[in-house]
Parts: sequence; structure tokens; C-alpha cells
Amino acid sequence: MFKDSVPKYWRLRDVVYRLKYIYCRDCGKSSFPPRSKCPYCGSSNIDHRYSKGNGVVEEYTVMYQSEARYQDYQPIVFGVIRLDEGFRIVAPIVDVDPNSVEEGMRVEATLRRVRVDGSTGLIQYGIKFRPSRR
Amino acid sequence: MIQQPIVAGFGAVRIDRHFGMSSIDLAVESLKDLESRHTDIDLAPDTVIVSSMHPEIMQEQSGIAGVMADYLDLKGVRVYRVESGEASGLAAVNMAYTLIRSGLSRSTLVIGVEKVTEYPTSMITRAYSLIEDSDYKGFYGVTPAAEAALLAKIYMKRYGYSYQDLYKWPYLMHSTATTNPYAQLKFRLKDTSYEKSPIISDPLRLVDMFPYGDGAACIVVSDGSAVDKRDAVIAIAGVGASSDIVDPFVRSDPVFFDAVKNSFNQAVAMADVNRDQIKYIELHDSFTPYAYIAMESMGLVERGASVRSLSDDLTINGTYVNLSGGLKARGHPWGATGVYQVGEVFRALRGEEQYRSIDPIYAGLAQNMNGPGAQSYTTLLRRVD
Repeated sequence: MFKDSVPKYWRLRDVVYRLKYIYCRDCGKSSFPPRSKCPYCGSSNIDHRYSKGNGVVEEYTVMYQSEARYQDYQPIVFGVIRLDEGFRIVAPIVDVDPNSVEEGMRVEATLRRVRVDGSTGLIQYGIKFRPSRR
Repeated sequence: MIQQPIVAGFGAVRIDRHFGMSSIDLAVESLKDLESRHTDIDLAPDTVIVSSMHPEIMQEQSGIAGVMADYLDLKGVRVYRVESGEASGLAAVNMAYTLIRSGLSRSTLVIGVEKVTEYPTSMITRAYSLIEDSDYKGFYGVTPAAEAALLAKIYMKRYGYSYQDLYKWPYLMHSTATTNPYAQLKFRLKDTSYEKSPIISDPLRLVDMFPYGDGAACIVVSDGSAVDKRDAVIAIAGVGASSDIVDPFVRSDPVFFDAVKNSFNQAVAMADVNRDQIKYIELHDSFTPYAYIAMESMGLVERGASVRSLSDDLTINGTYVNLSGGLKARGHPWGATGVYQVGEVFRALRGEEQYRSIDPIYAGLAQNMNGPGAQSYTTLLRRVD
């Protein structure tokens, strides 16, 4: 299989490093990832915004079987996180014992290593979430 | 004149880890099975459609339909490949229906084929995970199993079920697959087998996921000029296809699949059958929760009631489901699966082995989707009496 692409993740930098999302000026809903039209009402009358990275865990799972690029991080806690700006994202939760994660837990964004593409490929960083320190 | 598409024949190989066979070898074997099952068919397709999800990755082959037609010694035919992730198989069958119905083709051979086990499990998981939106969810390594686990927890919590309640599905799938000649997993589970089954993504265990296996299945869809007349003639009476927002957590309800509902309703509306004449359904159960959500999305039962409504004889409100063993135990070679499903409905309507214990069925359908209802396809078959 191919190695991770450098241009692809350079293109996605606003999304994977800054949580860029869209806000619909017609229906008032937010969504992630950004797209050209609101997925709820179809309007093109949208703003591109950046999240402050604070949210709440709505649901979570502890995953024990990942593909090769993520195996150093197993088990991985994935949370369905609702950001304060109103959109959801499925992302890893770190700095916490998997048994201590719970629904309703406040979390905040943190920049972490996400995956390593073998010994000669990219080392990718991105936004994960940790228990809120505020 | 508008033609009525007929399923003229079906053949397949048993799904397994076929280390000694390529995708072409598997396709050849499935065609041999079709020819041995339907000896009086004049197999002269003018069109070949190959459904396969990952031939580039797993077989390092693009243009697979042309290569396959060549190795099957079919020259001068139209060749197409249809790809719609895990739902490629039924998408291909629906395209064959369209070609016959339009009169463009008189006989179309649909081959669903997938080599899944060419690499170690972590590589297979990487390839399978490409059905996710790979720029975003794929970036974090969210696997389809992790997504299914999140949806299972939401479903269980909303409707008050325990993991042990959900375990009914894999238990019953394993039981019924033991007599299916095409099934990969032919062993029964015990009431407590889940306890020793490794957790893939909490709460789902290995028993809640389809097994990785290779397979090929084929059907001939014709305008009636090529058909096995020794037994019941089976027509494709209706098809449906619908898409949804790919990420279930962006949808208004993540544990109800609108694409499944819409494709099901389209196929039923198109067919000249009553809803209560549909007595057999092959549904897409790649992960345990998806079986229950699919049954509810098709309207077989009200939301949240499928777990308690499913009987041990695999009926739900009078409709049989997945007597084949489903994706869970018959197997799920990705792009081939929809063709296996149509084959099972075909066998059920003809009252073949595996289906002899149930009353004769007039109409049945297959439902095949990509991910948790991102796209869903339905193919409805009925007997021509």
C-alpha cells in the first residue's frame, strides 16, 4: 500500500490542526468536516470558522485492534465529542485511564502525534482531546 | 419494449481464506459452479459487470473487469466495474437490472469478487477502513469496528439492551450457517462463547464482526432468452438505491439508517408485490448492531424492538432473515457480498437446500450497504408463476 501523502496533509492543515468547521447562517447549525454546503439545510450561506477546542464526551469506545500505523497507541479511546460550537467529531481521548472516561466529561483539544507511517514515512500530528484542565 | 430482468442462474465459491487462488481463479470457480448448477443455460453474456471494492490494493489490478473477461474467454463483450464500497455487489446487480430493462443488454454476467486475505490482518483493517471518510475519520484511525461500537452503545442505551441481548444475532447466524455450502464459519457458538471472544472495540467482540475471507459469486441477469427453466423462474421485480450523510454522527439520528429505509421502499414500490408477500430478506450485518438497525430501518419492526422481536427461527414479524448465516457467518468478501446475497434469495425462492424447511416463498429481497447506512441498495426478487 502507498505511503502517506505529504501534499494531502498539507492541504488539510486547517482541519487537522485547527478544527476548521462550517457554520450555516441560514439554519444556525455547525458541522465538521468543512464542506461547501450545509449538510442539514443545503444552504451555501456558510461561514468557515475555527473551534476553540472545548467540548463534552457524548459516547466513547476503547479500541484494541487498529491498523499498523496506530498500533503504538493501543488501546485507543475514541470519543464522540460535541464541541461547544455545536458540531460533533469522533477523535481520540488521551491522558486518561480508559476506565475513567465517562459520558458528560469535559475535554479540550491538544496537539499530539497521531500516527507513524513506518520507518521511512511521515510522522503525523493532529488534534486529540484530553480531560479539561479548566 | 421494456424487458423483465430474470435471474437466470447463480454460482459461487465457499467463502474462505483461499491463499492458493487469485481473484480470477475465484471468479472462474464461481462460474463453474453456476454452470454445474444450471446445465441447460446457454451462457452467452453480451455484458460483464465486475463488482469489487479493492482490486487495486489487494490484487494490484486496475481495469479488473477487462482482465477478468479476457481470462473467462469472453471477447467482444461490454465490460464494466461497479464500485460502491461494501455495497458494490448489489450496486452491480442493480446496474445489470437497468441494462436488461433498457434493452441494451440481453444477458449480463455479474461477478462479485474480492481477495480480502492477501495481507496480514492489520493491513486488511487499513484497507477496510477506507470506507470511512478517509481525510478526517480515517486520519485518526477510526476503524469501521470502532464506529459500530459507538453506535452499539448508543443503541443499547437508548433502547435498554445489554450486550448479552445483542449477542442473540451472532449466535443465531452461526447456527444457521452450519448447513450453507457457501458459508465461511460453519461452527456453532455457545450461549457464553462471547466471554472468550476478544474485544475489538468495546462493547463489540470478534463474534460481533464478519470474518475476513475471500470469495466470488456470479449471477446471470437476462431478458428471459437464457434461463434455467427446470425450476422456478425468478425475476428481479424491483431495485432501490439511496445515499445519506456518510458520517452517522453528523446525521440527525445515528442509529436509524434513512438510506436503508429509502432503498427498501423504492424497491417495494417498483415491484408488483404486496409488502406482506416478502417473506425472506438477506440483510447487511457486517457488525451485530447493524442487523438490528437494518431491520428497524426497513420497517420490519418498530424502532428499538428488533432485538426482542427476533425469534430463534430467524423470523421477525413473519419474515425470515439471513437463513444463509449473513455477513456474520456466511461471510463478507466486501464487493462480492451483494451477489452472494442475491444468490441466497434466489435459492430461497427456488426452495433449494438450506431453505427447504420453510414454506414456499413468493418474494424476497437483499439489502446491502456501505458502512453504517452511508449508501444502501435493495434488490427484490419474485417468482414468475
